[in-house]
Amino acid sequence: MPRKSSLFILLFVFFSAKAQHAGYVLISKPESFRNSFSNATAVTQSIQSEFNQEKYLSMLSEKINSSGKFWYKKKSQLRIEYVRPFSYLVIINEGKIFIKDGEKESKISTGSNKILQQVNRMLLDCVSGNMLESPDFQSRVFESREAWLVELTPVTRNLKKLYKNINIVIDKSDFTANTIEMIELSGDKTSIHFKNKVLNAQIPSSIFSIP
Amino acid sequence: MHKYPVRFFLFLSAACLSVSCNQYRHMQKVQGKQNCVFKFKPDFSRVVYKTSVDVVGKHLSGLLVFKYMPDSSTRVVFTSETGLGFFDFGFLPGNRFIVYQVISKMDKKAVIRTLRNDFDLIMFNNTGTQHAYDLTDSLLVYHAFPQKNGVNYYITDAECSQLIKLQRASNKKPIMEAIMNGYTTGNSPENILIRHLNFNFSISLKKITPIASQ
Repeated sequence: MPRKSSLFILLFVFFSAKAQHAGYVLISKPESFRNSFSNATAVTQSIQSEFNQEKYLSMLSEKINSSGKFWYKKKSQLRIEYVRPFSYLVIINEGKIFIKDGEKESKISTGSNKILQQVNRMLLDCVSGNMLESPDFQSRVFESREAWLVELTPVTRNLKKLYKNINIVIDKSDFTANTIEMIELSGDKTSIHFKNKVLNAQIPSSIFSIP
Repeated sequence: MHKYPVRFFLFLSAACLSVSCNQYRHMQKVQGKQNCVFKFKPDFSRVVYKTSVDVVGKHLSGLLVFKYMPDSSTRVVFTSETGLGFFDFGFLPGNRFIVYQVISKMDKKAVIRTLRNDFDLIMFNNTGTQHAYDLTDSLLVYHAFPQKNGVNYYITDAECSQLIKLQRASNKKPIMEAIMNGYTTGNSPENILIRHLNFNFSISLKKITPIASQ
C-alpha cells in the first residue's frame, strides 16, 4: 500500500509538472543545473541581443508586438531599446534608471523607490543568471531536451502584487536566456524572445551612460 | 473708512463669481443640432496608442488599448512598454463602468473618476439628446450634453463640418479639453491630446498600429 501511494505521488508530481509547462519535466534535484549555470554565467561578461516582445492581453484575446535591442554588461548595466512600433529607451546603470520616451527624458534613483528597486533587481537577475539566488523569488527548475525552464514565484509583497510567475527559458547550448515570460495576476503575460545573441563582445561604456 | 475698499473687493469677487466668471454666459442658446456631432464619434473598436501621461511633474508612459467587446462594452487597457498592466477599465452601455484591474498606486477614487470622465468624453459616451442643447458665440457652436456633474461640450464650426475640440466643464467653466486630430468619419484619431485646466495633468495619445490578430 505505501508503495502504491508513493507511485501515485510520483506520477501526480510528474504529470502536474508536465501540465504546468508543456514539454518540460520538473527537476527534483536542481543542484547540478545550479552549478553548471553558475559556472557558465560566471564567465559571461556581456550580452548583446535583439528581441521581440509579445504582450498578451488575456481578457481581450489580443497581442501587442514590439521589438528592439538589448545590451547587458556585468554587473549591473542594462540597456533596453524599443525601436518598433514605438521608440522607448531604458538604461539601468549602478542603481540609476534613465528613461527616454520620445523626447521626454526622466532619471530615477532606484534607491528612492522600493518597487522599482525590486523590479530593477529582477531584470538584472534574470539577465545575469542570478535569479536562483534572489531573495525575491522561490524557484523551480524544469527541463526539456533543448532547454531549461526556471519558474520564479515572487515571495516579496510588492512583486506578489504585480506578478504571478516569471518563467525564464534557458538555452542548453550556452546557458543564456531565450525567453523571459512575465505572467501577471490577471493572466496577462509579456514574453520577450531574444535572438542574434552575442556573448562577451566589447560594449562601449557610452551605451550605458546616463546623460 | 478702511472697511469700504474691503467690502467693495468682496462685492466685486461675488459679482465676478456669479456673472462674468461663467465662461459660457455670453453665448446664445440656439436651436439644437446636437445630432450633427455624432458623425465625429471615433471608432475605438480595436486600436492601440502610444501614451504619455504627465501629472504634477511626474511622467508615465505606455500603451493604451481600446477594444470593443462582444458584450457591447469598450475596454480601455493601459500597460507599460515593458508589459506591466496599469489599469483595465470597461465602459458599458447605460453609463455603466467596471474597474477590472488597477495598480495600487492608481487605485484612488479621484484618479479613477477623472480617467473615467476623460474617456467618456472622447468616446462620446452619455450623449443622449434628451437634455442636450447648443450654445453659440460668433464663430463656434458648443453642442452641450449635461452629465451627472457638469457638462460635456463638443465644439464645432458653425456649419458643424469640423470638430474643433471637446470640453468637459463645470456649470461655469471648462475643466478639461481634448483635441483629436487626423481622422475621418468611422476611423480612430491619429493623435489625441487631453489637457486638464484646473491642475497639471495631460494625456497624449499617438496611434501606433492596429492590434495584431490572434
